[in-house]
Amino acid sequence: MPEIFINGQAIEAREDQTVLQVAREHGIFVPYFCWHPQLSVVGNCRMCLVEVEGRGLDIACNMPVNAGMKVFTESDEVKAHRKAILQFITLNHPVDCGICDKAGECMLQDYHYTYNGAASLSLDDKVRSTKYYNLSNRILLDNERCILCLRCTRFTHEVSKSMALGVERRGDVSNIRPVEDRPLGEDPYSDNIVDICPVGALQSRQFLHKARVWYLKPTPSVCPGCERGCTIQIWHRKPEWFLKSLDPRQNTSIARITPLENPAVNGPWICNKGRDLARIFERTRADQAMLKGRPVPVAEALDAARRLIGAARHPVALVSNWGSNEELEAFKRYLGEVFHTHVKRDWQPEEGERIEDDLLIRPDKNPNTAKARELFGEHEPAYHAGTDLVLVWGEGYDFARIPPQAKIILLNSYLAPENGHADVFLAVSIQTERAGHYTNFQGVVSAFEPCFPKGESVLDAEVLFKALAAPARGHP
Amino acid sequence: MTFPVTATSHSLAGYRARGGYVALEKALKQMKPQDVTKEVTASGLQGRGGAAFAVGRKWQVVVYDDGQPHYLIANADEGEPGTFKDRWILENNPHMLVESMLIASYALNVRNCFVYIRGEFDLPYRRLAGAVEEAYAAGYFGERILGTDFSCDIVVYRGAGAYVAGEASGLIASLEGKKSYPRNRPPRLTVRGLYQRPTVVNNVESLSNIAWIIAHGAAAYKEVGTPKSPGTRLFSVSGHVNRPGVYEVELGYPWMKFLDEDCGGIQGGREIKCVVPGGVSSKVLTGADIKDLALSHEALWDAGSTLGSGGMIVIAEGTCMVTLSQILMRFYHHESCGQCTPCRHGTGWMHRIMDRIVAGQGRPEDIERLYYIAKFNDGTTICGLGDAAGYAISGILDKFRDEFEYYIEHKRSRYDGNLECLRSS
Amino acid sequence: MKHLTPEFEKLRERFPEGFESSLVLPCVRRIQEERGYVADSDIEELAAYLGVPQIQIEEVLSFYTQFRRKPIGRWHLQFCRNVSCSMNGAERILAHVEKRLGVKPGQTTPDGRYTLSTAECLGSCGTAPMMMVNDGYHENLTCEKVDELLEGLK
Repeated sequence: MPEIFINGQAIEAREDQTVLQVAREHGIFVPYFCWHPQLSVVGNCRMCLVEVEGRGLDIACNMPVNAGMKVFTESDEVKAHRKAILQFITLNHPVDCGICDKAGECMLQDYHYTYNGAASLSLDDKVRSTKYYNLSNRILLDNERCILCLRCTRFTHEVSKSMALGVERRGDVSNIRPVEDRPLGEDPYSDNIVDICPVGALQSRQFLHKARVWYLKPTPSVCPGCERGCTIQIWHRKPEWFLKSLDPRQNTSIARITPLENPAVNGPWICNKGRDLARIFERTRADQAMLKGRPVPVAEALDAARRLIGAARHPVALVSNWGSNEELEAFKRYLGEVFHTHVKRDWQPEEGERIEDDLLIRPDKNPNTAKARELFGEHEPAYHAGTDLVLVWGEGYDFARIPPQAKIILLNSYLAPENGHADVFLAVSIQTERAGHYTNFQGVVSAFEPCFPKGESVLDAEVLFKALAAPARGHP
Repeated sequence: MTFPVTATSHSLAGYRARGGYVALEKALKQMKPQDVTKEVTASGLQGRGGAAFAVGRKWQVVVYDDGQPHYLIANADEGEPGTFKDRWILENNPHMLVESMLIASYALNVRNCFVYIRGEFDLPYRRLAGAVEEAYAAGYFGERILGTDFSCDIVVYRGAGAYVAGEASGLIASLEGKKSYPRNRPPRLTVRGLYQRPTVVNNVESLSNIAWIIAHGAAAYKEVGTPKSPGTRLFSVSGHVNRPGVYEVELGYPWMKFLDEDCGGIQGGREIKCVVPGGVSSKVLTGADIKDLALSHEALWDAGSTLGSGGMIVIAEGTCMVTLSQILMRFYHHESCGQCTPCRHGTGWMHRIMDRIVAGQGRPEDIERLYYIAKFNDGTTICGLGDAAGYAISGILDKFRDEFEYYIEHKRSRYDGNLECLRSS
Repeated sequence: MKHLTPEFEKLRERFPEGFESSLVLPCVRRIQEERGYVADSDIEELAAYLGVPQIQIEEVLSFYTQFRRKPIGRWHLQFCRNVSCSMNGAERILAHVEKRLGVKPGQTTPDGRYTLSTAECLGSCGTAPMMMVNDGYHENLTCEKVDELLEGLK
């Protein structure tokens, strides 16, 4: 275990470490752009230059530790060099923070302030390049802002393996470009490059000019797109920055979704499906209880449901594998004895969707099959002539399979034609409206927290199941 | 290694007549691989590509039997402006390189060696390819060479137009079929180089000395030259001399004698203004600086410059150094690979400043800017191109700052701006 | 590119195993020799043949000055403009050629005969000024020599 010195502090390092890794582990911050813990070392930004006694300056990200070495990360030479590197980076950089989405979470901005970046010393025009390059239908590239750290190209070569990005030409006219038949659009992990871009060169079209990041807050959640259960951050407007708008949805919508780093599950990545969850969560909601399509107060619908349950001889339940651990356990506890319970697979892979790969994507496109199976086993529902009640919880079930004589209690979150045909319909909340946990296919349990309020007539399934188990009014 | 060239002197027969392939026989049959390396180290042979790194020291990093493939690459990318001596060897004495590479491959346990030759070289490539064919036909390549256990194959690999491919790690990237992006060290190339295997990259001229050293011995090699600069060097001389060309010079030879006598003096009988000693990446020295200097590594190091690639450009009195600098900055800008921040932006910046000065729009701050850019490209970049661009401009500024100040103030050159000595006033 | 495959197979055998990626530069050069430039379809085919990512070939084509993706004139005239050549009249001779052909560097004459370019140091400083005509070096140029040369290029 070689002992090295950083800024006079003696530190036990590991033989295979670089000085940058050692510094990070001990809370000593050395700035960098191109280094990333999950990508190969390229050492091209030169921002992590540190001074080594007797050796001068060199980059820390590629510097092996030597016993006894004395490293200085804040010497005058190092500081002067950081300022110079910032000068070079901003030489041709448009500095258009005013219209750049990255503002507020931009490494270049942060370093400029921290390391006293100065106004440009150049008397010459900046080198111009493409401002709005169509990298894919999801990502816009601004080559003027790009600092050629090559994080994005390395990602497509080393992580997503789509080999989609490269560098055309050389010198200060180099540009990041996609391979010519554009498989970046086919790379289901493409949007991760927007996260790892240290500047505003790569922008998500979904999020383009939607909001300044400092008006938003991230709420931890779990992606329900498949049984991997990657942890994510759902960004939405901070309450104190709500817009005064006639449309309440302005303040209760998902601004964007980014990964929540998780060494046990997804590392720092998610796939594009996880970015697009708004198209799942922001479908038109079912927001009132109904009896055969007639809107009724919740209490009346609850009562009707209880009576149906009380009267049923052979009730069958199809539970949702989008239910949280808490909801599924509640069903088991309160209604498990009453119903023959089967696990339904709410979502199937969509057309063109990648089924499986060895990075993150799993074939089961539901978040909590593991828990549901654990509680209820895995067998197809068995109907027979005596089946008189079917409780369907969640989406994706083919109602034609339900025996015609059976009554139907439907619990759903989204507007659907079946809602109106059910004998009793109750609207239930979605994961962005409550706290809970999912269990992924490896048994890892991850938590999600609420971002948005739920509608007045929308119930939490957990509460609902307990309510359904109570005897109906007027019945023992 | 030089001689009067004839129509056939580059052939195998011509080379054999000059004593060729005797050293190979000696090495393979009388010496162990480690003995060869020892001899090369003892000779003190220094690299001739520009860095003057001791060849033997580089070879010694390679562990002979570490169970993995080793590679040897002759760097024939010769792109340093002012340099054309490797070309001479390839056109006129290619077998000397071939034999030397065989001996070096034997010493380093190399089964596959390469010559990386710049793509623009046509005749040198054909001569070299011809020599390789002859060597194969004569049994000097392939399995069990000269009846020994030593087997070796060679590939002549053509570049495609990039000065940065002359940098050893950029060369390797190019030889791997990619864009020529140099690599950070560590690891050294002798530890992980071509396809991550131990690789020795040596300049063509450096390698070509090996055959002579093995044939005649390290002691004989050291008898020529100076203690700190043994042997002879090929100098490419160009610019404003009357007899430009490739000269083989014993190190330690007096510089002025070389220019006045061997190179025929300066065009138009002019005085020497300055000399770029070893390719444009070496710092310029004035006529006064070089008056009593010898052509040796130590003499130039002491004078604040370097023999570099041996590409000597002689500049006559009356030549505008500002206009010359513009050409140099344009060159580095064009050739920067663009990987690392200081060089990618710095070379472009310096070029634009020089364009502006030459166009009569220079500003007093420009000189300090140029020094600033040079300073922060010194030792901060992935490869030496950034540093070299800085040395080129700061070297000229150190000696000729007044010319720049004049140009900026008067919006024109102190001279007529015409770089042609014979046609300028 | 298909008809070059036997040649490429032979070339592959000269390299050690696992060196497929190295074949990019020589194969591209050969394709360009045949066609005069490298076509989009060549890139796809070569990538598939060598088993390298297509982006690698695209990068190589745009990085190196000798590779081109568009056809040029029959005779490619490249003038070195670096220091020793400039010090011996390169600019003057280039200006002469520009005037005579009516094109600037980067352009091709309307009849498709000549494409004019400038180049950085070509390793011919001792015989400056010089130019390349397609693959060949023409050195120690004078305006007269250049005129004679151009006459001979049909």
